[in-house]
Amino acid sequence: MSKRMNTTLILAGLLAATVATAVPVLAHHSFAAEFDTNKPVKITGKLTMMKWANPHAWIYIDVVGADGKVTNWALETSAANSLLRRGWRKEDLPAGTVLVVEGWQARNGSPTANITSVTFQDGKRLFAGSSNPAAREP
Amino acid sequence: MKRSSAVLIGIMLAGTILVAMAPQPGVAQRGNRGGAAAPATPPRPIRRMPDGKPDLTGMYQADAGGSNYGLENKPGDGLIPGSRGVVVDPPDGILPYQPWARAERNERVLPHRGYDDSTAHCFMGGVPRALYTPSPFQIIQPPGFVLLLFERMNWRQLEISDRPHIADDIRLWNGDSVARWEGDTLVVDTKNMNGQAWLNEVGDVMTHDAKIVERFTPVSGDRITYSATVTDMLAYTRPWTIQMNLNRQDDELLEAACHEDNGDLPHLKDVRDEYRAKNKKEK
Repeated sequence: MSKRMNTTLILAGLLAATVATAVPVLAHHSFAAEFDTNKPVKITGKLTMMKWANPHAWIYIDVVGADGKVTNWALETSAANSLLRRGWRKEDLPAGTVLVVEGWQARNGSPTANITSVTFQDGKRLFAGSSNPAAREP
Repeated sequence: MKRSSAVLIGIMLAGTILVAMAPQPGVAQRGNRGGAAAPATPPRPIRRMPDGKPDLTGMYQADAGGSNYGLENKPGDGLIPGSRGVVVDPPDGILPYQPWARAERNERVLPHRGYDDSTAHCFMGGVPRALYTPSPFQIIQPPGFVLLLFERMNWRQLEISDRPHIADDIRLWNGDSVARWEGDTLVVDTKNMNGQAWLNEVGDVMTHDAKIVERFTPVSGDRITYSATVTDMLAYTRPWTIQMNLNRQDDELLEAACHEDNGDLPHLKDVRDEYRAKNKKEK
């Protein structure tokens, strides 16, 4: 079996598991207080860093705007521990990977978002473990 | 490996993770990606210590039904997940709030109050919140004690004793707990709370006057029925009780250094300060 097929199957398994279960999430604060459901975002960018941290892990991507200006977005996921239990691994997200992410922008208008899913260029998805109920399903 | 075998392995992996992540009472085999399937066998009997008391040791996670987002039954609302409702007394599942406390709770759910939740600052969630905070915890049972080690930056030492509580002027996030066995049930009396912790992210209220009686009743080798009765007559009109299952799971405590990168707090403060500034102008 090729490495690519292995990866596909693992991600398919993780996708199925994430969709069908209500894994406890590791929010430590009110997401509704910090992020705005009236500001949904769907952005595409190139991964610059993944910070495996607690109480939340963060993904950073460079997003090129219509004017050509590059903005580095900070994307909040669940805690590093939660991602680990969900099956995320460091190798899943090497720097330079192009990602499409969906979520909600911070109320303060900064390029910060709480994200629900990460989609790779080939269509594979990982779910971020947000406390948002909508994030529990694709 | 043939493609058919590869697909089969993929399906098995998916199934394994599906079962492992579901709230099952059974013990799963050790697995790095979330554990594995619960056995399709009858529940194991309650384990016993040498003195005959139940052996509660192990890793657990509460089947809390979203208690960290509300103790009463309610649907999800925007970014706030829904809650199954775990209040078993009063029977209608509604917390018997005094009007001022219900008003306080209703305000705490607004964005400008998010900064006030102690757990946003990485402080401990207190009693009983730590039990249903959505993180696993470990029970260790050395002679004379039951220790609760919560992955979410908290621990409790429950002393099996008939000692009196500590002096009333000592106030703590987790209060002062004294435990005893009543048959197979571990009963824990807690008071001396500091009144600063919220009961969940939506701000259910508990004051410093609260007295909490928790009951840990093992119903099998892999499940504990947990209840907490809160008597807090400063905020409520009568005592109330929540109940949920604590399910043993194959897992391990992971490091959770909450202050490592608490990038949310500045944002929550921005929201609060913006609200305050706007409110001041309008006045």
